[in-house]
Parts: sequence; C-alpha cells; structure tokens
Amino acid sequence: MTRITFPAPVESEVAEKLRAEVRAFLVAAIADRAPLVRAESWNGFDRKFSRALGRRGWLGMTWPKEYGGHERSAFERYVVVEETLAAGAPVAAHWIADRQSGPTLLRYGSESQKREILPRIAAGECVFCIGMSEPDAGSDLASIRTRAERQGDGSWVLNGTKLWTTYAHEADYMILLCRTSGDTSDRHNGVSQLLIDLKKVSGISIRPIFDLMDQHHFNEVHFEDVKLPDSALLGEEGQGWKQVMGELAYERSGPERFLSSIQLLIELVGVLQSRECTAAQTAIGRLFAHLVTLRHMSRGVAALLEAGENPATHAAIVKDLGASFEQELPEIARGLVDEAPDIHAKNDFAAVLAYTMMAAPAFSLRGGTREILRGIIARQIGLR
Amino acid sequence: MDDISSLLFDAAERLLIDLSAESAPDETQYLLNWRKIEEMGLPLALVDTERGGIGLEPRDAFELIRVCGRHVTPFPIVETMLSNRFAADAGTKPNCDAVSELRDLSERQREFAALGRAVQMTGALETILSMTVEHVQDRCQFGRPLAKFQVIQHSLARLAGEVAAAAAAGDHAVSKLAEGGDASLMATAIARTRIGEACSMAASTAHQMHGAIGYAREHRLQLYTTALWKWRDEFGSQASWTRLIGRMVLAKGRDSLWPMVTAA
Repeated sequence: MTRITFPAPVESEVAEKLRAEVRAFLVAAIADRAPLVRAESWNGFDRKFSRALGRRGWLGMTWPKEYGGHERSAFERYVVVEETLAAGAPVAAHWIADRQSGPTLLRYGSESQKREILPRIAAGECVFCIGMSEPDAGSDLASIRTRAERQGDGSWVLNGTKLWTTYAHEADYMILLCRTSGDTSDRHNGVSQLLIDLKKVSGISIRPIFDLMDQHHFNEVHFEDVKLPDSALLGEEGQGWKQVMGELAYERSGPERFLSSIQLLIELVGVLQSRECTAAQTAIGRLFAHLVTLRHMSRGVAALLEAGENPATHAAIVKDLGASFEQELPEIARGLVDEAPDIHAKNDFAAVLAYTMMAAPAFSLRGGTREILRGIIARQIGLR
Repeated sequence: MDDISSLLFDAAERLLIDLSAESAPDETQYLLNWRKIEEMGLPLALVDTERGGIGLEPRDAFELIRVCGRHVTPFPIVETMLSNRFAADAGTKPNCDAVSELRDLSERQREFAALGRAVQMTGALETILSMTVEHVQDRCQFGRPLAKFQVIQHSLARLAGEVAAAAAAGDHAVSKLAEGGDASLMATAIARTRIGEACSMAASTAHQMHGAIGYAREHRLQLYTTALWKWRDEFGSQASWTRLIGRMVLAKGRDSLWPMVTAA
C-alpha cells in the first residue's frame, strides 16, 4: 500500500485547559532562562524542574494510578511535552524515562519492577538512559556485541561497551539491549533487554564524550563482569528486538522531532517582525506551514499510539520530515539576517543561531538516522 | 463519511477511471461522457438537496474532490461542482453544463475554491506516488528492478513523506473549514503552501524516477505533473498564500509564535 494517512488529531477541551495551566506554570518556573539556554531544552538537565513537574502530576500522566500514574489521556501528555519543549524548559532529567523507559517497563516489566520504579519516574525522581548503540553497532543495531551470560543460579554476568549514551553520567537506571544467546550472525534473535540499577552495581565505568560544542551529554559506558540479578531481565529473554522496535515509535514521533530549532524560529520572528520585507514574509510563512503540518502529523501518531497501534512508518515520516525542517532553519535564518553566529554574543539571535547550527547535524542522527528511516518508509510502500 | 457518500465516491472513482482511459475523445464522445458525469449527479454534488443537488457535507464534498484529483480527465468536473455551488449560494439556479473557468469570485468563494484545488492536488499526488512505485518495481536496469536500488528507495521514501504531509495539511484545512471558525483562512493558506511545495518535489521526483518515458506526451504521468504545475498557483498563487501566513505571523510577533502554532 502506498497511501500513508495520518488520522486527524483529537481535540479535547480538557487538554486545552491543561495547556493554559502548563503555560502559566512555565512562565514562572523558567523565567530566568535566557534564549540561548532555552535553545538547549533537550539537553537541559535539572532534577529540581523535573520534580516540580512530577508534583503537578505532569509525568507518567497516562499510566495507571497504582503505579504512580494519573490515568490521563495521551493527548494531555502531548500538551505537557510540547509546551515544555516550545518554552525551552530543561527536560533531560525526566523525559527519556517519561517518554520511553516508563512505557517499556509498564508493558514488559515485572510487577516488582513496576511497583519500585514507575512511581519514582512519575515523581520526577528517577533518571533513565538508553543503552543501544555500541562502538561497532550504530545504525546496524542488530550487530550489538554486549553480552549477558546466564549463570547457574539464574543471575547474569554482563560484558561490553555502549556508546553515545545520553546522560549516563547522571542516570539512575539504564535499559540495555544486549545479546543473551547466539552471536551477531543471529541478527534479531537472541537479544534481550536488561534493567540496570547504575547506582548499585559495580563493574561499570562511564567516560564522557564531548561533542563539537565541548558539551558533555554523551558517554561511553563500559561493563566488565557486571553481576546482575535474575530479576534484571526486562520482558522476555530473546524478545529484545521486538520490544525495542515497539519503543521506537514513541521515540520517533513526538514533538521533540520538530521542535529542536523552535527557539531560533522565535528569535528570527523577533528580528523580522518590524520589517516590511517580502522575503521575510515568504520564509516565515513557509516555515510556519511546515511546523503546523508536522504538528498535526505528530499528533496523529499520538492518536494511533493511543489506539494501540504500532505506527512505525508514520513515526519514521514525522522524524524524517521533522529533522529536515529543524536543520533547514539555521540556514534560512542566516540568509535573512545580517548577523554572524556567535554563541558568546549578547545578541540573542546570534547566540541561538550559533547553537542551533552546531546542534543541527545530530537532528538526523539521534533516534534513528535519516537513512534508516527512509529504509523503513521504503519497505512500507513495497520497495524492500 | 456515511455509507451513501462512500458509495458515491466508489461510483465516481470507477467512472473517472473509465473516462481517464480515453486519451483524446472527439466532440461527440466528449458530450456522451459528460452526460455520464451528469447522470451521476457530480455537477450538483455540492448543491443542497432542495435545489436538486446531492448536498454533500463539507468533509464529503472535499473527499469527492480528492477522488477527482486522483484521476485527471479532460472534464472540468471540480470547476463545475464549485461553480454550481457558488451559484446556488447566490440564489441562482445551477445547471449541469460544464464550466471550465470560475469568474468573479468573492473572497470567501476564492478561499473555498483554493482549498478545493489544494485537496484535488493531494489526490493527484497519491496517484503520482503509486504510479512511480509501480514504475520502479516494473522497470529493470542493470539486471534488477529500479526499486532494488537504495538510491531509488530513498527518493521514493521522501516522495511518500511529502505526499503524506500534503494529505495531512489538506485534511486539517478541511476540518477547520467544516468547523466554520476563524482558523479556516490560516489553515487554507497552510494547506496551499505545504501542498504546493509537495507538488514541486513530487513532480520532479516522479519525472526523475520515470526517466525519459515519463516526459513523453503519451505517458500519463505528464497529465498529473502539468496539472499540478497549474493548480498550485490557481485561486491565489502559492507565493501569495505563503506571504499571507508570513504577514499574519510577523504581525503578532515573537511571543505569539507558539500560541499561533497551537491555535492553527
């Protein structure tokens, strides 16, 4: 089938009422964040802010109350996520857990894993990182070599290295994908997910990897004879690939996939708003049309997820188009404004432009490269 | 969409497939075929039942227009549907004659027609995508179907993404129009801008994927690409719709950008 349609987003009065509450909260909560700091939203790490969201019931929103959740709709959660991102709030201390680790635990976790961890995530007190990529397995995730060997008493011994692990140096837990049987030639078979309490087990070393802006978000995480209890297994042994693929639709379709450059668009409008300039109107009109359309599509995916579907192709389309939009923005902005990018500038536009330009290459790498996404779409339309 | 509408869409689709199979009908054949279109009630599809039309609800009306976009024919069905709708709104008695050009439109009529074109374009885009997918599956070069080359797969993945985005923008504008609020003008401008851009990309990709054969008059691809090149600038050029959005956004300024996005 070649026609890929996105369902209409669900409009709800409850969600719009919530939007007003979230906006009012954010105005006060992050008043002191300058535009450059807001532009780093994704990477802003602030446990205090995450706890404040948790206190308001804005984390783990859709989960059952018995696990600390609030049994609200996916659309209400979407409102909180997009409002925090658009405002440039620091989300890194909660949002991997809220977006994907929590839902994965809810779906595959044991009762005790769920009871112990989910309420802490919902309170904004539990930071997660994701152990997928490795030195020799990036896009080719099935080639992972990190391995957990089952011991006679049912426990595990883990060896290997994970790479590009965002905020591993702050995280409380990691959900790790590793091989538990067979070898790399078995591809999707014989891999499992393990839940690791990073603060408790020994044998883990975490080394920083600085990015091209000299910032430290990534890490290399090395496991040497790490002993894990039997209960570390998350879900079914050997079903890790399937479990991870289910997680990726959450990871690829959210508002973060088209809002990474929003602060630059806001500053650009600020610079251009006083000009009577046709080129500015054309550029802003086009960007706005893209942004609004991406948002409809992303909310459409939220509706599919809410309906219990696994919209992997839809999510791939949102992320592919979203990353292109985010990456175009700095190039368009510098074509319209005579201001050299300078991350140390007092001028907000120049600083945000510099930041966004240097952040941009990652937009089409993280969470699935553009090439992987296009492969997924090509398969859906029958070419592979 | 109710069952009756869905029957109408199916019947219209079958008729359009038949009509589009004829390459160049002579005058007699043309009139005979128009008669078939009339018998199905298409010229009056958007006119109230009291005035002898089918009286489709806005969402269904645009769905029928999308169906028409999927099958380019020599007949000005969409133009005639719109013309009769506007005539009925103005209290004039509509008739079934083919109308190839809409004249003297009010602002509201022009917006309605502009959205009609937008949705018609999304129909044509669907056809361009499926035509191109079929072509690369059938056509072999270097000993294998074009579809097996990764560079071809990725071009088509982009095309599929553009077509999906265009459909989403069109659907959204139709919803806003059906709701009847103030957001309709902005949503139509967004649809025209986003769909127009998808058309540019789709036409160039589809021609590139089809190779020289798609450039020949006898190939059906050119019926769709030349139609898109025309439609995207009718009832307001794409550029004018885009500037309209830009003016509205810049007039409200920096701090209203995000609230405008969520209200759009």
